[in-house]
Amino acid sequence: MSRAGGGLVALRARAFAHAVRRAPGRYLVGASLMGLVAWGTAALVDRGVRWIDAYPLIGTIADAALRRSVEAFVTVLVLAVAFSVLTTAITTLYTAADLPLLLAWPIPAERVFRLKVFETYLASAVLPALLTLPVLVGLGTARDAPWGYYPQAAVAVLALYALPVTAGSLLALLLMRVAPAGRVKEVATAASVVLAAGLVVGLRALRPEQLAELTPEEFEAFLAGFASLDLGASPATWAGDAIWNGLSGAVSPALPLLALVAWGSLAALGRVAAWAYQVGWVRSLDGSSRPRDPRPRPAAWWERPLARWGGGGAVVVKDLRLLMRDPTQWSQLLVLVALAGVYLVSTASLEVEGQRFRDALGTLNVAFLGFLLAGVGVRLAFPVVSLEGEGLWFLRTGPIGATAVLGAKFAYAMPPLLLLGLGLGFAQATLLDVSVNLASASIVAGGLAAIAVTGLGVGLGAAYPRYDATQAAEVPVSPGGLLYMTLALLYAAGLTLLLAYPAWTTLVDPAVPVWSTPAGRVTGALAVAWTAAFAGGALAFGRWRFARYESGRD
Amino acid sequence: MIEVEGLVKRYGVQLAVDRVDLRARPGEVVALLGPNGAGKSTTIRAITGLLRPTAGRVLVCGHDVVRAPLAAKARLGYVPDRPYLYPKLTARELLRFIGRLRNVSDGDRRADAWLEAFALAPVANELIETYSHGMRQKLTFAAALLAEPEVLVVDEPMVGLDPRAARQVRDLMRGHADRGHTVLLTTHAMDVAEALADRVVVLHRGRVAAEGAMAELRATAGAGEDDLEAIFLRLTEEATDGPPPWGASAADGGGPSNRSAAPHDRERGG
Repeated sequence: MSRAGGGLVALRARAFAHAVRRAPGRYLVGASLMGLVAWGTAALVDRGVRWIDAYPLIGTIADAALRRSVEAFVTVLVLAVAFSVLTTAITTLYTAADLPLLLAWPIPAERVFRLKVFETYLASAVLPALLTLPVLVGLGTARDAPWGYYPQAAVAVLALYALPVTAGSLLALLLMRVAPAGRVKEVATAASVVLAAGLVVGLRALRPEQLAELTPEEFEAFLAGFASLDLGASPATWAGDAIWNGLSGAVSPALPLLALVAWGSLAALGRVAAWAYQVGWVRSLDGSSRPRDPRPRPAAWWERPLARWGGGGAVVVKDLRLLMRDPTQWSQLLVLVALAGVYLVSTASLEVEGQRFRDALGTLNVAFLGFLLAGVGVRLAFPVVSLEGEGLWFLRTGPIGATAVLGAKFAYAMPPLLLLGLGLGFAQATLLDVSVNLASASIVAGGLAAIAVTGLGVGLGAAYPRYDATQAAEVPVSPGGLLYMTLALLYAAGLTLLLAYPAWTTLVDPAVPVWSTPAGRVTGALAVAWTAAFAGGALAFGRWRFARYESGRD
Repeated sequence: MIEVEGLVKRYGVQLAVDRVDLRARPGEVVALLGPNGAGKSTTIRAITGLLRPTAGRVLVCGHDVVRAPLAAKARLGYVPDRPYLYPKLTARELLRFIGRLRNVSDGDRRADAWLEAFALAPVANELIETYSHGMRQKLTFAAALLAEPEVLVVDEPMVGLDPRAARQVRDLMRGHADRGHTVLLTTHAMDVAEALADRVVVLHRGRVAAEGAMAELRATAGAGEDDLEAIFLRLTEEATDGPPPWGASAADGGGPSNRSAAPHDRERGG
């Protein structure tokens, strides 16, 4: 990078160092948790690879199959980067608040945009890279790779993720030119969400459960076919070459080629972005061109019942309006719908003979439902307080207390989660045709888990807010988000243990009406208490921290 | 009425406001003046409940902002120096939100009246993200005044307003005080403070350097017939002030000086 560009990067690095110095504990906890996850992933991959290598049936083709698996894994992540970079690129390359200042400095525009491209790369590719690197470390330790393997594998992966950043950013630049004025972000978000949902549904359409139905011979034939798959001269194959050569201590000629293409494409992107900014940026900022209608508009019909709730209702109405108009928020609902669809298709595709097996599978699904809702809650419930952003001053200076604010946020976030929890609980019970005892447990688990994750999300989101986040997806990327996930998974595990009782009773004697027995009632009461403890505890903690939050302190 | 008693605010080891006493009575416009970093914004934020005092207390119409925040805030309207308004709401939706938040009985009617008064009615159904800075500033005033608060706190009211809107805002603050309400404003525009304020409080280095009507301030500063700007400069004179960065070298015929003359900012955003 040029001297001026390097200076800008150094400036960013210094700002980050200051942020770490101000709250070292927060960053230490975050880094420790990330390190723990990375270590766990590497250890798991190490064990898995050693097991595969030792397995006699597939030992001969294990290496090729493993390589295709790694290539498929990074290809999925490459696609994920390509889709997510669409909206990120619009923010970093066009609407970033520091762009006018940087462009006013005596620095060539191209260098400024190289920095912005680098920011886009960091924002889009760091998380996938953090997911990939522990996998490659685990692969290296399992194969006793020489030390040179590790930097080679890291360079291959980091270079590989630069390519979707370039492709996605170019698509974003194109959208800036062709999308309707003032609607570029909406169009880009819709495109990326539809593509991401399509990818998830497409992967699901492969129906991996079919593998379980294969005989050992058919499975070996499948593996042989998979191992001999030729992806052609794609960047993923180059990265695979570099990684596999590195495992045996050799340097692949594909590595410098991949690095060169990556570096060259990012540099070219900087140049194209600088040009495109000058000719097209206005379209992202332009307002609507429709004629104005100044006539007074009364409140919408759906606002009126909420208005009776006073301040809390006002917050809910405001949040609903912002949800409908902010693509970074409503797109989360599309992801939710895609997830629910995949879950239901997966459940429907399970063909199980015998009531007892169906009930056993139903029990597993009850456990899975809690984990699924925990994952959805981190995107839907955790960010709702942080999304107040700079508008928080309205609430902090208005006559509305922390209880009412958190109550409003809870009421706003719960309906979609409750609908999802009850709906999936009912749907999986119907699709699997489980016993009445388990069907009721499934629906109750869905409802209780929805309440718990909403309480956890709103409460911990208020306790550890990120009012500076530019969109909902950024908010959980914090120690508070990790705490939420840890507690939500703990809750789901506890609920699963509690509901194991009706499941076990059903498996032993399906005719017993579990919920009418004293033990069944105690189990139900414990499940409700477990839910209330998590939701109520988190909300009380969040209320306490929210009431003491000082706006403008930072 | 605003009563600030022995207000102290620390940011870690930094002392932003040090034992400030301040009183603004009904029917009065009080201007809070001070150089950058004097503690004005911190004082304002403590009055509006955005910050918790380290020591001392703030009463709004007799209600402690920390102990009885809802009662205090129900009587308070606030115009911040850099108001953020939800960009994806229209002006009418924002005022409806404020009206419900503050339990204003005829909120829609009042909102329409304020939109007309500030010439925002033609764009009232447009998203706020399409508004200019001045339009947003006017809308913030409309939001603050919608509930006819007993106390109006205004941080830098004239920023971004055109001359007509600036005059309108000045008349509006005066009128609000004349209806028996209290107005506290901070500003760097000395002419606005001089024309509008019944009393002036000068903050310097986190403390009250002077307080009173113009005549009292002149006496305090020993300033004869000087205007408020001259009095202000005299009261906030820095013994340690050096020449401006360009001063010394300009006199020598050289370029920018290496000497740093800017006093250290002791307050964030202040």
